[in-house]
Amino acid sequence: MNENKFGRLQMIALVIMRVMIGWHFLYEGVAKFMKPGWSAAGYLSQSKGIFSPIFEWITNNPDILAIVNQMNIWGLIAIGLGLIMGCFTRIAAVAGMLLILLYYVCNPLFVGFYYSIPMEGNYMIVNKNLVELAALFVITVTSTGQFAGLDRILHKLFCKK
Amino acid sequence: MTEEKKEPKKSSSKPAGKTLDRRDFLQGLATAPVLGLFGYALKKEIDYQKAQKAAALGTPAVVPEQAELNVALLGAGAQGEVLLNAMLKIPNIRFRAVCDIWTEYNLKKAVNLLKKYKFEVNGYQDYQEMLAKEQGLDAVIIATPDFWHARHTIDCLKAGVNVYCEKEMSNTLEGARSMVLAARETGKLLQIGHQRRSHPRYKHAYEKIIKEAKMMGRMVTVNGQWNRSAAPDLGYPARYAIPADILKKYGFKSMEQFRNWRWYKGLGGGPIVDLGSHQIDIYNWFLDARPKTVMASGGTDYYDKATHEWYDTVMAIYEYETPDGIARAYYKTQTTNGSQGYFENFMGDQGTMVISESEALYSGLMYHETSAPPWDEWVRLGYVSAPKVIMPGEKPEVVLDVRETVSPDEHKIPVVLNDPYHKPHLENFFNAIRGTEKLNCPPEIGYETAVTVLKVNDAIEARRTLNFDPREFEI
Ligand SMILES: NC(=O)c1ccc[n+]([C@@H]2O[C@H](COP(=O)([O-])OP(=O)(O)OC[C@H]3O[C@@H](n4cnc5c(N)ncnc54)[C@H](O)[C@@H]3O)[C@@H](O)[C@H]2O)c1
Repeated sequence: MNENKFGRLQMIALVIMRVMIGWHFLYEGVAKFMKPGWSAAGYLSQSKGIFSPIFEWITNNPDILAIVNQMNIWGLIAIGLGLIMGCFTRIAAVAGMLLILLYYVCNPLFVGFYYSIPMEGNYMIVNKNLVELAALFVITVTSTGQFAGLDRILHKLFCKK
Repeated sequence: MTEEKKEPKKSSSKPAGKTLDRRDFLQGLATAPVLGLFGYALKKEIDYQKAQKAAALGTPAVVPEQAELNVALLGAGAQGEVLLNAMLKIPNIRFRAVCDIWTEYNLKKAVNLLKKYKFEVNGYQDYQEMLAKEQGLDAVIIATPDFWHARHTIDCLKAGVNVYCEKEMSNTLEGARSMVLAARETGKLLQIGHQRRSHPRYKHAYEKIIKEAKMMGRMVTVNGQWNRSAAPDLGYPARYAIPADILKKYGFKSMEQFRNWRWYKGLGGGPIVDLGSHQIDIYNWFLDARPKTVMASGGTDYYDKATHEWYDTVMAIYEYETPDGIARAYYKTQTTNGSQGYFENFMGDQGTMVISESEALYSGLMYHETSAPPWDEWVRLGYVSAPKVIMPGEKPEVVLDVRETVSPDEHKIPVVLNDPYHKPHLENFFNAIRGTEKLNCPPEIGYETAVTVLKVNDAIEARRTLNFDPREFEI
């Protein structure tokens, strides 16, 4: 069942990475929650690239936009909590990857495509979003939750084997 | 490693899947303290933001039971409407009357608006009639063309009513002077409508940033501007034209002149008075001084001179003797291009302040001179925001010459007015009537500003530097 073949130190390193990504997600969610009237509209409306019509459609539909906003806020918070606590870690990590992928395709960094939302740093195709996405991929395929996290308890309680 | 060793044990004993040992608990909850840390950090962050906001708002006064005030509006044009809408957001105001000579249009509009808000208001064409018939008025708000201000204000004061009179106090210094004297004689309150004097951002800038924290250091230069886009003359619906005899009675030659009075000599003062006086008033205030000299260049360069007697383009330079030494202040107003809007820019040897009434553009920025003492303390107190990190990529990569100084940190003045721009100034006036506040722009200040600003037009005509006699500012 436990497929990790990592040593203790390696597992600790992975848990630290997981917790930090979780922290980042959680605060992104909480900060948006606390900002009165926060809306994804600003980010979405600047969407460029092949998917931009979809994001534009979202921005132009107040009802859909409201749902997207709520999903984004609570998604971020839930994923953040999951990653920090190591609870349903794999689900949280996959959901996190999907969310980040959405952010990325909203404003992809194609070569020669220099307009994008002002960002700190310099990037060519790969930006911090993609790095975080790759890190979540690592989290997905290593069961850090069963090393340090509620998953360990849940697993013992509910898994037969 | 221990993990791996445990595994075989787990799988060997069947019920082991259900038993949780101490180790499982410890490791299962190993990351929980992170949430505690997160909560702690979040609380700190929220407290910090709250402190910033509180500092921005200033100390809220405890609102005592407020007396209701009876108010009339004299002059229900564009600005009268703006003031009316601001006053409708102020509690304990009872509107009693509106007076405007454009009875078929502006008067009706204002009366209807107030009726919608359930005020029983009477409309008047003549202000004398209003003053005679409306008993028990506490205040009249005057927003008539500048050349009427003195007569309207003085008669209202003499009728025993407090007055809020729009800037420019008067189009003549004699007019403005007689207003100061009337206020003194009658003992009634007179507030001049330089509304930035009550704006929380401007008050914060003066009281906290300039005076208390002295973040500007020694201010040596000032510049400011109001850029306004080219615009056609104001028109009017032909069927609502005011009869010629009535226009004449109130000092207007034609409907065109009645609508565009600000451009005519003897009626208004042109853009330098209309727009400039707001901002040049801030020069006097923030520099704590009155100018010694002024030179200016201006003219009607774009519009038709026949209908625009006052200058559409003006540039003026003042020399101030401030308590700290000489300061020079430049002001420009033009009415042919609106880009970059309006702001005032103060430059001291320790900091730069860009401030504007506009919430949209340049509303409030501070730049820290790299050589000046750090502002950490003021950031902590919320006087200015934490500096904005200039993102690479926002500026093209440039190679700085060694002689150039790096661009200074940019801070925000964290005070935002979420109300109509004129509301705080009106509130200050009403509270002064109630005796709970002091006027922020008493007639003496309005007069000083009038002296300062009206001389620009003189200097343009004279084509030379004009001096101010310190006694000119006194009454
Ligand atoms: N503080 C500010 O930000 C600000 C902004 C705009 C205007 N103002 C000031 O407000 C005043 C009015 O400006 P405006 O733009 O509203 O002009 P306006 O021409 O739109 O309005 C003037 C109104 O006064 C009426 N009026 C003229 N003479 C009158 C009289 N003798 N008795 C009664 N009513 C009379 C006119 O019918 C008109 O409705 C001016 O002094 C102007 O400088 C201040």
